[in-house]
Amino acid sequence: MSSQLSASAVALPPSTSVAVGGPTTDSPRSPDAPRSFWRRALGDAFARYGARIGAAWVILLAFCGVFAPFIANTHPLLLKMDGQWSMPLFRHLTPGDVVLLFATAMAALAYFGMRGFRPSQRLYIVVGAVLLMIPLARWFVTPPITVNYSQYREAEKAGRVQYILRTPVRYSPTDYLRDLPDRRLSPPTRHHWMGTERDSADVLSRMIHAARIALTIGFISTGIAVAIGVVVGGLMGFYAGTVDIIGMRLIEIFESIPTLVLLLTIVAVFERNIYLMMAIIGLTSWTSNARFVRAEFLRLRKQDFVQAAIAAGLPRRSVIFRHMLPNGVAPVLVSASFGVAAAILIESVLSFLGLGLVQEPSWGGMLNQARNEGGAFSWWMAIFPGTAIFLTVFAYNLIGESLRDALDPKLRKLD
Amino acid sequence: MLSYIVRRLLLIVPTLLGMTALVFFIVALSPGGVGAALLSQEMGMRPSEREALRKYYNERYGLDKPIVVQYGRWLNSISPIGFPKRDDGKLGTFRVKAPDLGESYARGRRVDGMILEALPVTLLLNAISLPLTYGIATLVGIYAARHRGKLFDTVSGSFFLALWSVPVILAGVLMIGYLANQQYFKWFPAAGLSDMLAGSKPFFPARMPSGEFEPGWLLDRLWHLALPVLCLSYGQFAFLSKLSRGAVLENMRADFVRTARAKGLGERDVLFRHVLSNSLIPLITQAAHLLPAMIAGSVVVETIFSVPGMGRLLVDSIKLKDREVFLSITLIAGVLTLAGYLLADILYAVVDPRVSYE
Repeated sequence: MSSQLSASAVALPPSTSVAVGGPTTDSPRSPDAPRSFWRRALGDAFARYGARIGAAWVILLAFCGVFAPFIANTHPLLLKMDGQWSMPLFRHLTPGDVVLLFATAMAALAYFGMRGFRPSQRLYIVVGAVLLMIPLARWFVTPPITVNYSQYREAEKAGRVQYILRTPVRYSPTDYLRDLPDRRLSPPTRHHWMGTERDSADVLSRMIHAARIALTIGFISTGIAVAIGVVVGGLMGFYAGTVDIIGMRLIEIFESIPTLVLLLTIVAVFERNIYLMMAIIGLTSWTSNARFVRAEFLRLRKQDFVQAAIAAGLPRRSVIFRHMLPNGVAPVLVSASFGVAAAILIESVLSFLGLGLVQEPSWGGMLNQARNEGGAFSWWMAIFPGTAIFLTVFAYNLIGESLRDALDPKLRKLD
Repeated sequence: MLSYIVRRLLLIVPTLLGMTALVFFIVALSPGGVGAALLSQEMGMRPSEREALRKYYNERYGLDKPIVVQYGRWLNSISPIGFPKRDDGKLGTFRVKAPDLGESYARGRRVDGMILEALPVTLLLNAISLPLTYGIATLVGIYAARHRGKLFDTVSGSFFLALWSVPVILAGVLMIGYLANQQYFKWFPAAGLSDMLAGSKPFFPARMPSGEFEPGWLLDRLWHLALPVLCLSYGQFAFLSKLSRGAVLENMRADFVRTARAKGLGERDVLFRHVLSNSLIPLITQAAHLLPAMIAGSVVVETIFSVPGMGRLLVDSIKLKDREVFLSITLIAGVLTLAGYLLADILYAVVDPRVSYE
């Protein structure tokens, strides 16, 4: 039994390793029960400093992404102008902001509350609620179409403001400071802690809002890649033979497609669309996941517990997804983690080349503004967004490495 | 071995077909189809030019035919074997012919010519970068593995991971901003492959009759290539160093190494004859995966440093919406990647006698 779990064979004494053989996360356990395979693998990985630092950075980014409107916004949280109280920030939240905040709140509720539900049920509740929220937000959240950012600064200058409560960063990412024309492309100052862009937008504010794009593109494209990779690799490994040969050809075709070049081509002929970008990155990068799952499944299909499941007459769906998958999907975690880093890099390169999204702030696009006509170099436009890309990619690579070390007993023996 | 190579080459055919189909159908399914270039390029053209452009596209793709037929026509014209087009517009008999990559109307040139100009530049960049990276990375990997757990090993381990994570766009922009800029240090040229006067320079460095030192064409070219090559190499260097450390470490514990030590071989012989040759195997397999990375890398590096190679041609043609050019470049990049995989597979079998494909 212990040999089916590559990692457990090394770390645990034989007596405990018997108890962890299977998908046991669904059932409630007493505190001293042996930890499940997943919990142990993740625990081992995140016991390392590298993974912890990486995870801390990703959590910080996620926080910035979710609460971006409350961290960096020109609209004040609370305003008393001409004797009238108002909350302009809430009035200007977009449907996307609302859905994101709602999803975060639901996830937090599911994690800390909902004691009576099993984890899978909690997942369904959260996903269902968020899906329900999307059309609701589209209907009911209607921010003003024309936004006047300079009204607050002008009103303040005119002395019409009695009370104002601002966000920590006082500028929206699309606030081009129309009333302050002398702040264009300035190095860091007291007002703009990371300087301003060519079109006067505040760099720090754009950096914070760009965390959204980086995280979404990483997670969604990797999610697509993992889903395709697991299904294709699982089928190849389970059926072997002809299916395996056809699958390998398919993998070879997709591996021989240079992702960046294909993406550039698609950007050239289709409209710029972040969802299309995610889909393409996901559709071209599933191959390593499929290879891993296939190798694991080829190993697993000969093992007694799988043979027993087949002999017991369980449906194939159940054998593949309930018995084999939980035992064979661990290596995918590693390649998924590196995949997120690669996806973020690809997006930043596209934006850097001026072929990314137009309106939304993106670290790659900001980095491109470091070089100006005539050879002038705006260091703040290179250092800050560039470091953000670097740290994010580094964080995911650190997590990926720690996971690989935790899951791969061969490497563990060496180090 | 030979039968394996032949089988492998035959398997390339469906892969190539799949890849070309994917590339073509993406373009064909985009709004406007293959002929959309007509709309974007016709503006500002004289009626006679417009007529010529329409005739060209119709002849090449058969725009009134279904997409599958268009794909077949395109495939026939780009492939080196097929039915050559005769002067009267009909197709000849099936035989080896010159592949026809089409014509770029945005620039009024044939695509083959543009690619033949750009490809050597990219190959040159990679031909300098690849051996350099492999050579140094192998040595660093051996050193780290031999001094396992010591300061160099532990520090270099995290350092390489960090170096690998530095995005090329950041490194390139910083290099050009600080090392090739009047504001800071003007040590390197900021753009291009050679000096404007390079054509009139002697090849090797020389002392002029006037007593001045003349660096010559070769040094000038290397000076221009220094930053792009550095930019292209550092990430792969970090990755390969980690890989070679792991491979050397694994082999140092193998039985055959213990045997070699037991029979009294010197440390140097053990390391460089027994350990190294076996550690090269994962490095060679990795070479296949480096090729796509290099194509992607040269897109960025060539754009930042204004090097007139394939990557730059691709980005330029995308901005010009020059379909024939980027269709061809995507195709060539795919073929190169495929060739890289094939080469790595064959090399794998050559260097490791334990691997058998029979």
